[in-house]
Amino acid sequence: MKPEAAIVGIGATPYYFRGESAPQTLYELIGKAALAAVADAGLTISDIDGLAFYASGFEPGLITEALGIPELNFASVVSAQGGGSAGILDLAAMAVETGRAKAVLCIGACQQSENRYGLALSRMAATPDNIWSQAAGLKGPGQALSLLARRHMHRFGTRREAFAEVVMASRAYAASRPTALRRKPLALDEYMAAPMLADPLCRLDFCLETDGALAFLVTSGERARDLAQRPVYIAASAHGGERGWGRSFFWLNMPDELFTSAGGEHTARRLFAQAGITPAEVDVALLYDHFSPLVVMQLEDYGFCPRGEGGAFVESGAIRAGGTIPVNPHGGHLSEAYVIGMTHIREAVEQLRGQAVNQLPDARFALVTGGPAPIPMSGAILRAER
Amino acid sequence: MSEISTAPDLSALVVPMDVWTRPFWDAAAQGDLKLVRCGACRRYRWPPGPFCPHCRSQSVEWTASGPAVIYSFTVVPDRGGPDRPPSLQVPALVEFPEADGVRLLAAIVDAPIDQIAIGARLELAWSAAANAQIPVFRLAETAP
Repeated sequence: MKPEAAIVGIGATPYYFRGESAPQTLYELIGKAALAAVADAGLTISDIDGLAFYASGFEPGLITEALGIPELNFASVVSAQGGGSAGILDLAAMAVETGRAKAVLCIGACQQSENRYGLALSRMAATPDNIWSQAAGLKGPGQALSLLARRHMHRFGTRREAFAEVVMASRAYAASRPTALRRKPLALDEYMAAPMLADPLCRLDFCLETDGALAFLVTSGERARDLAQRPVYIAASAHGGERGWGRSFFWLNMPDELFTSAGGEHTARRLFAQAGITPAEVDVALLYDHFSPLVVMQLEDYGFCPRGEGGAFVESGAIRAGGTIPVNPHGGHLSEAYVIGMTHIREAVEQLRGQAVNQLPDARFALVTGGPAPIPMSGAILRAER
Repeated sequence: MSEISTAPDLSALVVPMDVWTRPFWDAAAQGDLKLVRCGACRRYRWPPGPFCPHCRSQSVEWTASGPAVIYSFTVVPDRGGPDRPPSLQVPALVEFPEADGVRLLAAIVDAPIDQIAIGARLELAWSAAANAQIPVFRLAETAP
């Protein structure tokens, strides 16, 4: 058996609606999350010797200066945006399993006050390769991904009721969570009455806009057993992707089969092979939910239901507590907070420690996915201590 | 009466071009919609770029697009502004039965929203950007 790395500390700031984290600075939020993760593990800042990021990352020099980390033996970034969120665990696991570093802090954060991700396509510097989005009037990833959602509906008969159920389920989970920014239960008629932002996606199919930071501390499984928390092992981790998915919503020329997916099949195959388990053995799925239809498609990508049946699967109640595969019991990006995939990793760890607010019974394996987005995409399967 | 889709305002858009995409824009300036395929294996690709992803050849041929149909589309409300009323825009993916493997992002304009559908046949039109002609599409006249 390969040496397994483990997540031994988690830290987070409060989650804020976009702009409400002021006057704290972004690096202040990052520092608070980092210190909380170290304290959670029962370690000190001097024990940290590695940093891992995604989504263009943050300045390692500034973080080490500011927090007084004595030395770094590893600092790396998954070359992706939201697609790389779970990939930080892949980087950290590689670093500690090969002995490059002893304890790697994985950091993700966002403060959207000046730069709204929802307008990313219109704000991006125009190039000969990406000008087509602007030329067609596409302004953001949600509008671009609505093209996939409509095609999924056309090909498989998927209904808006399925997208609604993804949102309603997330809201039902969020109701009991003090950290969640949207806790009011949502009814189907309210969903159907919401304004369309990118037909077939309405406002409620779009995730929240949040400020916040989270950090996770990864060390070797051997060392993990002597620390403060019940270790959560990284049973599998991967970042990568296939040519047919490519730049995803910046490209939109994926082959027909992939166009009606969330592009996660490649990662799914690698993760299940590495962990040596099947989808049926996953107890909880933390699926990156920037837009609700992509949850339906990821359920298909990861083999929880056959291709094309995600809509009916979701509508059957399968993703609720007690269903076939509970999805995002923290409320996800749709109802709790959007920190680019980081809250999903936190929930996976809390579920496997037995510390979750909406604790599922006997959760042993958790799947975490990075965003359906340009490759590399990413994912991880985490395992509880027996 | 269904609402009619409007064109995005592209008048200020400056289209960056490189040696691989310029033939597209040069043809567009003449009112021609041309697509690119590999000069060796004849398979289409999009966007235009320096290699065929299937055989890695750098040889290219530009061909007339042929008929266009809607592959997928979305409907996006435009809130309007001081000098324009609120409207609906329809960014779409357009495919070409004679150029398998190419989907062009383009706006569907002047179309009753409730008649826009996957598979609908299209007619080419043009919209002026700062330095280029941008292809947009109308719904083809339905046969009487």
